[in-house]
Amino acid sequence: MNNHTITHRQLFFLIVQTQIGVGVLSLPYSLFVKAKIDGWISLLLAGVFVQFSILAMWKLCDRFPQNTLFDILPKIMGKHLGFIFKFIYTLHFSIVSALILILYNSIVGKWILFETPSWVIIFVMAFAGAYFISSTPREIARFFVLVTPLFFILFGLIIYAYTDVHFLYIFPIGQTGIMTIIKGSSDAVVALLGFDAALVFLAYTTGTPAKKLKVISFASFCVTVMYTFIVFTTYIFFNPMEIVIVPEPVLYMLKAFSFSIVERTDLIFLSLWIISVATSFISYLFVAAKGIQSILKLHHHQSAAVYIALFCALVAIIPNEKLEIVTWNKYISLVSILFSGISPIILLLISVLRKKQEKGATAT
Amino acid sequence: MNKFIYTLPALLLLTGCWDQTNLNETKLITAGGIDYTKKGKVTSTVSVPQAVAAEAGKGNIVNQVFAATGNTARQSRLRLDLKVAERLDASKNQVLVFGEETAKTDIYNLLDIFYRDPKSSLNAKLAVAKGKASDVISTTFEEPKKSTGVGEYLRDSIKSAEEGATVPAENIQTICPLMFDPGQDFALPYLESTGKAVKVIGVALFQEHQMVGSIKEPLSVIYTMLTGEPHTISMSTTKKISNNQKENLLNYVTIKVEKNKRKFDVYVSSRDKISAKIKLNVKIIITEYPPDNLSTPSEIKKIEKKISKKLTEDAQKVIDKLQKMNSDPFGVGRQLMAYHYPTWEKLNWKEEYPKIDFKASVDVEVIGHGIIE
Repeated sequence: MNNHTITHRQLFFLIVQTQIGVGVLSLPYSLFVKAKIDGWISLLLAGVFVQFSILAMWKLCDRFPQNTLFDILPKIMGKHLGFIFKFIYTLHFSIVSALILILYNSIVGKWILFETPSWVIIFVMAFAGAYFISSTPREIARFFVLVTPLFFILFGLIIYAYTDVHFLYIFPIGQTGIMTIIKGSSDAVVALLGFDAALVFLAYTTGTPAKKLKVISFASFCVTVMYTFIVFTTYIFFNPMEIVIVPEPVLYMLKAFSFSIVERTDLIFLSLWIISVATSFISYLFVAAKGIQSILKLHHHQSAAVYIALFCALVAIIPNEKLEIVTWNKYISLVSILFSGISPIILLLISVLRKKQEKGATAT
Repeated sequence: MNKFIYTLPALLLLTGCWDQTNLNETKLITAGGIDYTKKGKVTSTVSVPQAVAAEAGKGNIVNQVFAATGNTARQSRLRLDLKVAERLDASKNQVLVFGEETAKTDIYNLLDIFYRDPKSSLNAKLAVAKGKASDVISTTFEEPKKSTGVGEYLRDSIKSAEEGATVPAENIQTICPLMFDPGQDFALPYLESTGKAVKVIGVALFQEHQMVGSIKEPLSVIYTMLTGEPHTISMSTTKKISNNQKENLLNYVTIKVEKNKRKFDVYVSSRDKISAKIKLNVKIIITEYPPDNLSTPSEIKKIEKKISKKLTEDAQKVIDKLQKMNSDPFGVGRQLMAYHYPTWEKLNWKEEYPKIDFKASVDVEVIGHGIIE
């Protein structure tokens, strides 16, 4: 059991890497559709909302130390209801993993690999996922820490966009009105999802509860700031009228830049971004595999790894038109807000009302 | 061992070769030109450099020029493909030229394929040709042996014009936000084919998606300065500052701008009257002044005053021209939108812009004059 634990610092990278994923490329676009040029304010607002979920999530896990979500559910809901919800949660996390594959496939297929069959693109990622989750949380966390420096390259590439920006595009700030900004923040929350992986990973984390909370909260804060920076940059790079026709503004922006050695900067960005996608996918797949382990009472989640990855890949192959993908994205995202954003608060309330908590929880 | 099994299928799949493009099966376009025919169809003219084996050690590049006509830009491109043995690939395109008549219609409709195609080169230079674009593309140059084709030649000559501040630096992507912007327009290099060479003769001004006029070469430097470009490698211009010298040449001074600082303000009066003012603070080096009379501070002050006056006149000339053409490349409308949104919402900018009170002034400071006085 000892090499299953992760430190709270590793938890930070786990959360950051899970949060930053497939959504970052199209985030400015999806925010713009809702909140127009004030989308970046929606994003900051969403970052604040997310902090509440994180607080609830932490409190919940704090009441049941060293328990994953799947151990907690039967304890607060009773055996039978708990089992049903365990199943629903596992399904949810595997569908989210599948959605990551779907979006990753659609972008890779659209931007680089035009002729490669989509099942190949999906299966390459699914196998990588299966391989990774067959290891311990500590090994996964180590990999996530290892690839984090790549963010600095992504960051640097985006900063280059400041050679051709129009700051005036952002004005007048707040022209869309407060209601629109708040409505837009629901879409922003979807992009920030990933902190929900903490429901499982917190169980493996060592350290005092206060430190854990600080770490998750700070991870989410960092991601919010980075996303806001990216969204803000694209908003001053593209004209407000133009973003509407550019679904992946971040890539499109980089496509226009070339250096003497690298002509297509977007391809470099895309290759690094795939690693970010992989980390999100691995996290969710791991959580789903833990769910299966708990449902089937398996000795180790490793035995479920191949099957869950295969399931996700097969689901991901189904939608093959752009509009189908948009519909899938819409509904799965809505469900995600419910399961990841709101349900930790509800679960916490149930456990408080039914006075359920693990003995000795207060002592630690 | 178990883990190893997982990696096997991945290894097999990673060797995929669906998306390979072999160089020997493609012809790379380096320059493209688009013209409308009289019947409203689109003619694409492209130049493809081809290496021809010559004597040993002497590589030679021959430009092949192809043209085809279709109902849309893409169709004409597809028809070009039918004329060429290999597949044409525009992902290395360097320059895209519009014919003047074509530029006067909506150029966005023709650019759509460049924005839509993930492989297209968005950093290709754009230009407008006086006359037909096909003439520029099919020019047989005097110095083709050194360069690697029309594309590279045109790109380099546009680049050197950018360095001399004769034209502003733009490419396919940088004009895109401006085309969509109701409050700002743009300008592109304006080329002319003289049979054996292509020269940059100024800038072609646009309003939204259409060319509406041009500013010719010496004046276009002032245009670039007014856009707020702080510094280019040789932002130089020659100006006539006196009339009373016997030899004509002695009336002129050539300056090189070292630092150009723009102050740009848009005011709205209480009765919604709009006025705009551009103030340039320019630090210059005198690079040519045959009368040789720059030893005392008072002399320098005098010449500063003369150049300031001349540049202010020219700047005002540029602005008057722009207002007449109804092209707003400095983004007065954008400023209005950002800082006076209620006013902006009320007015029809296209009708309002030619009527606003738009002034320019240039303040020159001489910071050097070469190694002689």
